[in-house]
Amino acid sequence: MKNILYLIFGVSLLLSASCQKIDNWDEPGSRLYGNIIDSYTGQNLAMDNNDWQIRIWDKTWEEKHPGTVAQYQSLAVMKDGVYNNAKLFPGTYNMLPYDGPFWPVDTVKNVVLGNEAQQDFTVTPYLQILNFKATLNGTNLTLSCTVKAPITANLPNLYEVKGFLSLTTFCGNSNYINIGDYNNLRKQINKSWAAEVGAADSKDYTLGPYPVKSGYTYYVRIGANVNALSRRYNYSEIVKVVVP
Amino acid sequence: MKLRLILLIAVLGVAFSSCNDLELEPKGILGEPELFGTKDGVQKYFIQLYAGLPIEDFIYYANSAGGYKPGNSNAWQAYKNSQAHMSGEIFGWNVAMNGAGFGYWPYDNIRIVNLFINNFPNYKNKYDEPTYNALLGEARFLRAFFYEGLAKRYGGVPLVTTVQDPINGTPEELNVKRNTEYDTWKFIYDDLQFAIANMSATSVEGRANKYTAAALMSRAMLYAGRVAKYTQYLGLGSDAAVQAGLAGIDPSKANEFFQYAFDAGKIVEEGPYSLYTKNYPDKATNFANLFLDKSSTENIFTKGYDGQVFGHCYDALMCPNPDFSSFVGAEGGPVLEIMKLYDFPAITDNDGKPIRFSKRSDIKTGMEPRLQGTCFFDGDELRGKTFSIQRGIYKTFTGLASDAQSGSNAAPINATSNRLLGTKGQKYNNVLIAGAHGMFTTGVENNAMTGAFVRKYIDVNRPTSMVQVNKSNQSWIVFRLGEIYLNTAEAAYELGNRDVAMDYIEKIRVRAGCQVTRPAVDQTVSSTNGYPVEASLQFIRDERVRELYLENHYWWDLKTWRIADQVLNNRYAHALSCYYVFNEGKYIFLDEVNRENRSITAPKSAAYEKIPQGEINKNTNLLPQNPLY
Repeated sequence: MKNILYLIFGVSLLLSASCQKIDNWDEPGSRLYGNIIDSYTGQNLAMDNNDWQIRIWDKTWEEKHPGTVAQYQSLAVMKDGVYNNAKLFPGTYNMLPYDGPFWPVDTVKNVVLGNEAQQDFTVTPYLQILNFKATLNGTNLTLSCTVKAPITANLPNLYEVKGFLSLTTFCGNSNYINIGDYNNLRKQINKSWAAEVGAADSKDYTLGPYPVKSGYTYYVRIGANVNALSRRYNYSEIVKVVVP
Repeated sequence: MKLRLILLIAVLGVAFSSCNDLELEPKGILGEPELFGTKDGVQKYFIQLYAGLPIEDFIYYANSAGGYKPGNSNAWQAYKNSQAHMSGEIFGWNVAMNGAGFGYWPYDNIRIVNLFINNFPNYKNKYDEPTYNALLGEARFLRAFFYEGLAKRYGGVPLVTTVQDPINGTPEELNVKRNTEYDTWKFIYDDLQFAIANMSATSVEGRANKYTAAALMSRAMLYAGRVAKYTQYLGLGSDAAVQAGLAGIDPSKANEFFQYAFDAGKIVEEGPYSLYTKNYPDKATNFANLFLDKSSTENIFTKGYDGQVFGHCYDALMCPNPDFSSFVGAEGGPVLEIMKLYDFPAITDNDGKPIRFSKRSDIKTGMEPRLQGTCFFDGDELRGKTFSIQRGIYKTFTGLASDAQSGSNAAPINATSNRLLGTKGQKYNNVLIAGAHGMFTTGVENNAMTGAFVRKYIDVNRPTSMVQVNKSNQSWIVFRLGEIYLNTAEAAYELGNRDVAMDYIEKIRVRAGCQVTRPAVDQTVSSTNGYPVEASLQFIRDERVRELYLENHYWWDLKTWRIADQVLNNRYAHALSCYYVFNEGKYIFLDEVNRENRSITAPKSAAYEKIPQGEINKNTNLLPQNPLY
């Protein structure tokens, strides 16, 4: 009996030995945040949650460990074009918005992060989706828009124009009703701007009709992309459609 | 006391007996002199390399849990992880698309080759000149094969030709930089050029000769030519790896590589190979037997299995259980969009109405023999049983095929009161709703999800009781003359020799039994997949898909044509669905979307695989990473 008691005591001593809190690093607590600004509108870029990311490289790490090369971390960007990460180590970072639906930008070097730092990026989208309209006719939903390319020189192929329907306010390529009945209604183009549109800088597209269900509320938008990197979409604003 | 003294002396005697120097050569270990100094030793040394070659065969896992698995006991799951599933050649088991690969990094094998290449000259006096050169050439062939496995995935990779010393080497020596993609393919060219010049013209089965090296050259240089010509259309120009030349080649170099491919094909033609025609005039059976006959004159290089120590499960995983397989059974079937690339009978008339057939197997009337040799359709016999494949019953079917809306439940004609679908054995008025081997409403295994089963490579002479795990012994054909003809045709066309290209296509199509064996050259340009391609070039590419279907070429072809992300863009597999129209007593065939409404999408990044992160952590000189990772 006594032996068992000693045993229990000994084992619990061993187990609780790991309960000490000693770490040679402070927990990361610095906040890096900012906006992705559309150069045409001056507003934040229309996007979907985590469509693409901002790559950051911790240069302080490289200084502390000569001979190493920092791997990038990815910061998610929210659907309102805002990013906010409050769990970073203080230091100096290089930052690059990567693989988004805009003309490539240069890496912003040596952003100093103390407690907090704001770093906004102004980007030039490949395409603008204007005049977005969602027309409901019974349980058939038709979407229309104007796709505009302010810069057509060296623009990659216009790839597709696609309607996104969602049952939540999150709507876009990361959150949509992904079924064949809807996906097949997209316009697949994959031609140069000159071949598809000609000399003009914009063209109207109508998609649908999408069969929707009575009694549901849909959030819809149109996205269009060009054949660059991972073909991220430029979006219209989101419109709420209540199907009676 | 005396006893103790004797004991002490005895113990000391025993203890000091080990003080002799151990200088005898151990007789049980094969060292370099034994391995490099004799032909048999070299053969033994090469076996490990042959076993590790990057050959996508019956036991290859394409996805993230994947790899080349020599002698792996889990190979029975290969067709739940196959490249054919992943790239949409067959449909059934869901194998997730993984463009990033599984971290293939065979520098261990490359080191083994390099050790041979560097030290073999020390044993030159043990061989006559041709033998010595042939063995050195074979080593260069093996090294080129490993680099081809790397280059088709990553583009430019470090070109290591020395045997690195991990203890005394400096970080600068050990952390080798990536070479450009152009240099990598040129390095493969140099190795193979040496191999072709020096290897002997004949070899035992499973071992390479100069024509094998030429065949690899033909394939590799065609890949390189495509990469050079079409990478520009990927829209990756802003990426660091592209700008550094690590991913992609200057388009002006394309013709250089196409010419290498063309020349290599000509060398193969000098060899003792011919298209397999032993079973003429039945061209369907002939095409099927080509993959079974180990004495086929078309085989240039095969990877052998004996079904005992090394077996595979191809039969067991491609034929439905229990009628044709004694193991888990069929994991997938051929998709309709690829069947339609062949001469395929019309299933609708000019008005768009489904054509009525009196027997299900009548679908094979007018079907290309090569397709019949590639797939099993309803009515085909195997292992003493007959395939029976039907999707369901329409009580009545009036109207057009399009009224069925690709099989959607929402179509009025498909209301459950009119269209009957069932599980195994279910009947309607004493008529089976689905066939004995599908297409059932539930289950994926042993269910003809697409309306057909695979015939290519299926061993028809194997009794069902012997269709078991790791018992199949078909050889995997790594290179055959048919592929080389297609390589040469494509290279010739890219070089502008359109008629020469069609000469080769004609040979392939005559053997296939096609209706039109030599289509006229059509230079109409279309841009279906994002860049301009002449109609006849597209035809040659399609011919490749038809001829090499299920030989694990499709994925690499799509990748190197730089259209994987375009072709596999939300692609829904389609099924050839046969229905019995009850009130007419006839059968119709419909083009339906797969039952699970599942599509596959290849990401743009699939053009290049990701340099394994673990390797970058060891050697940051591998940066920049490939595009989009």
